[in-house]
Amino acid sequence: MEFGTSITPANGGDPVGLARRSEELGFDLVTFQDHPYQPRFHDTWTLLAWVAGQTERVRLAGNVLNLPLRDPALLARSAASLDLLSGGRLELALGAGGFWDAIEAMGGPRREPRAAVEATDEAIDIIRGLHHAGDPTPFRSEGTHYRVPNAQRGPLPAHHIPIWLGALGPRMLRLIGRKADGWLPSLGRVGVDGLRAGNKLIDEAAVAAGRDPADIRRLVNVTPDVPLEVLQTLEADTLILYTDDVSEMERFAREVMPVLRATNRRPTRPSWARAKRRPGIDYDGVPRSADAVEPGDIDFPRLKSTYLRGGNPGIILRPRTTAEVVEALAFARRHRTVPLGIRSGGHGVSGRSTNDGGIVLSVARLNHIEVVGDRRVRVGPGARWSDIARTLAPHGWALTSGDYGGVGVGGLTTAGGVGWFARKHGLTLDHLRSAEVVLASGQVVRVDAAHDAELFWAIRGAGANFGIVTDFEFDVDEVGDVGFGQLAVDASDPAGLLERFGAAVEAAPRELTASLIMGPPRRGAYASILAVVDSDDPETIVSLLEPLAEIAPLVDQRVVLTPYAGLMATDGNSHHDGQGEPAGRSGLIEHLTPAFTADAEELLRSGAVHFFQLRSVGGAVADVDPMATAYANRSANFSVTALGLSQRRVDAAWDRLHHHFQGTYLNFDTDRRPERLHDAWPPEHLTRLRDLKRRYDPDGVFRDNFYLGDDR
Amino acid sequence: MTDYGHDLQFGVFVTPAAQPAHHAVDLAVTADRAGLDLVTFQDHPYQPHFHDTWTLLSYAASRTSRVHVSGNVLNLPLRQPAVLARAAASLDLLSGGRFELGIGAGGFWDAIAAMGGRRLSPGQSVRALEEAITIFREIWNPAERGGVRVEGEFYQVRGAKRGPAPAHDIPIWLGAYKPRMLRLIGRKADGWLPSLGYLPGGPAELAPLNAEIDEAAAGAGRSPSAIRRLLNVGGQFSAQAQGFLNGPPDQWAEDLAGLTLEHGVSTFILAGDDAATIERYAAEVAPATRELVAAAR
Ligand SMILES: Cc1cc2nc3c(=O)[nH]c(=O)nc-3n(C[C@H](O)[C@H](O)[C@H](O)COP(=O)(O)OP(=O)(O)OC[C@H]3O[C@@H](n4cnc5c(N)ncnc54)[C@H](O)[C@@H]3O)c2cc1C
Repeated sequence: MEFGTSITPANGGDPVGLARRSEELGFDLVTFQDHPYQPRFHDTWTLLAWVAGQTERVRLAGNVLNLPLRDPALLARSAASLDLLSGGRLELALGAGGFWDAIEAMGGPRREPRAAVEATDEAIDIIRGLHHAGDPTPFRSEGTHYRVPNAQRGPLPAHHIPIWLGALGPRMLRLIGRKADGWLPSLGRVGVDGLRAGNKLIDEAAVAAGRDPADIRRLVNVTPDVPLEVLQTLEADTLILYTDDVSEMERFAREVMPVLRATNRRPTRPSWARAKRRPGIDYDGVPRSADAVEPGDIDFPRLKSTYLRGGNPGIILRPRTTAEVVEALAFARRHRTVPLGIRSGGHGVSGRSTNDGGIVLSVARLNHIEVVGDRRVRVGPGARWSDIARTLAPHGWALTSGDYGGVGVGGLTTAGGVGWFARKHGLTLDHLRSAEVVLASGQVVRVDAAHDAELFWAIRGAGANFGIVTDFEFDVDEVGDVGFGQLAVDASDPAGLLERFGAAVEAAPRELTASLIMGPPRRGAYASILAVVDSDDPETIVSLLEPLAEIAPLVDQRVVLTPYAGLMATDGNSHHDGQGEPAGRSGLIEHLTPAFTADAEELLRSGAVHFFQLRSVGGAVADVDPMATAYANRSANFSVTALGLSQRRVDAAWDRLHHHFQGTYLNFDTDRRPERLHDAWPPEHLTRLRDLKRRYDPDGVFRDNFYLGDDR
Repeated sequence: MTDYGHDLQFGVFVTPAAQPAHHAVDLAVTADRAGLDLVTFQDHPYQPHFHDTWTLLSYAASRTSRVHVSGNVLNLPLRQPAVLARAAASLDLLSGGRFELGIGAGGFWDAIAAMGGRRLSPGQSVRALEEAITIFREIWNPAERGGVRVEGEFYQVRGAKRGPAPAHDIPIWLGAYKPRMLRLIGRKADGWLPSLGYLPGGPAELAPLNAEIDEAAAGAGRSPSAIRRLLNVGGQFSAQAQGFLNGPPDQWAEDLAGLTLEHGVSTFILAGDDAATIERYAAEVAPATRELVAAAR
């Protein structure tokens, strides 16, 4: 059962404050009546959009929108927009009109009852038709009341926007049964018996139209004076409390909502959506706070996959707070037969943050970024590096992260963080001062050097095995504008090029951090070198980049002075639609010796990999005692990564290089053979981690990324 | 040489792209934080790649705190004037007086008709707009007695209640290029909002068009300075001066100050969707232009 408020949109009152209060009190829905002819009221559509900007989770609807004064085609577009802007929080409740004198005075039409039903019927088709943006053909409708000769469909809303009708007459009720997604009358108008009779009429019409009556939501406006005993008997799925009195809202939230929520568990999803559920998941037991997305939900396609990996999970849980993470994890823990993926930014390579038929626990919404002191920030796991860079820039600060701003904090920090200031300032996890972790048991701990120091050690390099980090506290560095060089160099001699690149980078001062990307050798192939110089002095920048420009004939170059935030800027909002499985391997290496570069050239020639990258580590990364964190292989100067299409082929080719490496940077390695654990961690680390794993996650709840539970 | 002496304002013209859904809002927030005066969005309700501009304006105003918002320009033919008037008053009240009404007579009649809107000839559309302006002003004026009555050729309002009064005097700016519209501005509007890119003769073309407005204003007994001159401009920052609004910020400032001093343009609305450019425009171009104009005035 769900609950809403109906707030008077009085422009002399405080409807915005009441809406916010409704949200705080845990109501699911905030609604406003709509009387565009009434000057003491706000325009309801404008108010809805305004309130969407002032709230975060509560859903919004008119109660009900005045159709005669709101053109359905325009309303369809506005609704899709507001749904997109609000993150899928708009619902449409329409009314056929009343107060015809006032409507006519505004320039609207006057409609007799039968015409009003007809117009509503047409409007539903128009709204649905325009929302059906997947259909490339134009939308056409030639009705008696509305003509839409040839409109392009779209925009696609963020979720399936239901259309509820506020109605009383039998003709309207039959229309609801035939077409609408819900009925929204006022109890004061229909009465308890009328509600029952109306529901029956709707059910009959639904069955006659071949629909499941359960797909039609029953909402009802109630005043605060209706006693709980009566509310308990109402045939309704959503109760909307009609009041502007905050104390009544509070009382309702405290006394009525918990009682009714506990007793009334009618499914909230229509039958066709429930049909897409996967076996082994207790869908009816999902905590409400998880704001779950199921395969039949409209947002599912945008959430099922990650940046690099196609997925088809059975359910996606989307908590917003640590307490909600605990609840979601408790739910997940009850499901030992299906996979569990933890997702932050969704850029996992080694981390299976999506899966097939399992649970995804996404902490993407824990994305706070807060400056809490001098060069001190706290960020949520779902924050993106681009946003962090942008927030820090005005302070003259930056936190080394990676080379792509769309990546999330959760996965990157818990494993390493090889970024543009690696040589100057170390790994991202070297900047971590404390973290809040939800453990497998559901316990929440704040760990730092003095509290649960062993855990603090473990989450810096093997975090995915030990819990869900819900907050990271970092020390950040003073960073001004930086030099950014993009060089394209001839790659006809891959081995020689790699060797000279290695020598040049090792010889360079720590201000320089560089990466090199190349593909299979072809005639005219070039390698792309990207390098950041942590200096805003053009001469220093050029002098540090020059040796790199000399390692092979230069094809192209571009050097700019830019804020770090400029390097990280991306459009992080778009959804991910990775397909298939990435096949990647990684190695950490000290020097690019002739023996290694010759083998690397072989690898490139094998055709097994299409992407080959080296990134600088070393420098400040190597200053840290290897025993200080679970991230261990600190003497390496380079992190080497390859991506291919087939794991088998990539493995076969990469295994021939294996002896050159002292370990792997696990974040880039998708190989699931157990010996990879020995690459990620040397023996002493591994023993310690396995002990800790037995202590903190004995049942192996966290197993989506370099799972430490198998003792091989 | 006409400078109408208005204070200078700087705004942006952001694409109301529906995807990524927050693209336009994020840039509005950038403009707000950067201290710009105005954020504007074009309005093409028949274009599904764009947000509904009214919804976007309301949401963007809700997410910002100082910057004013306006359509650039709103599409009248697909919006009902009496409802729009109250919506405008609402948004102005909710935002604490940050709404401005940029509106146009319509264009793209095929697309409007495809949505079920009424197809009007250019002359009709100007008359329709004039009726709508009357309706807006009447609705916003609760002091007057009796209901609003407009028996127009295109719009009929028969006794609708007046009000609410907006939080501030919402100026009505019209996008216009042709004589009939320019004369309507002179008679009735508070501002003229063309795009420099649509003036084939470049800035020089502002002079005769301004004169047309001024003449109509005088004819209606209004002072030409009652009408603000706004302008949509495009530009690019580059290290060396390469042309009009293509160079370093001080060159921009000189170009814009020239438009103020010679043609009386007082609101410069920069088209573009790049946050860094918007920030630079606010931080470097706006103050420098204000200084140049203040010095010359
Ligand atoms: C385009 C691209 C560029 C990259 N560039 C770099 C780079 O320059 N430097 C670098 O170091 N890495 C880089 N990476 C690798 C990246 O750091 C990892 O893939 C990382 O896991 C992504 O983090 P995420 O939160 O986005 O991923 P998600 O897919 O959300 O998570 C991946 C895994 O991390 C674990 N995890 C996620 N959130 C949490 C949490 N809150 N608590 C505990 N464990 C968690 C889980 O095991 C999960 O399966 C890049 C990846 C991509 C796709």
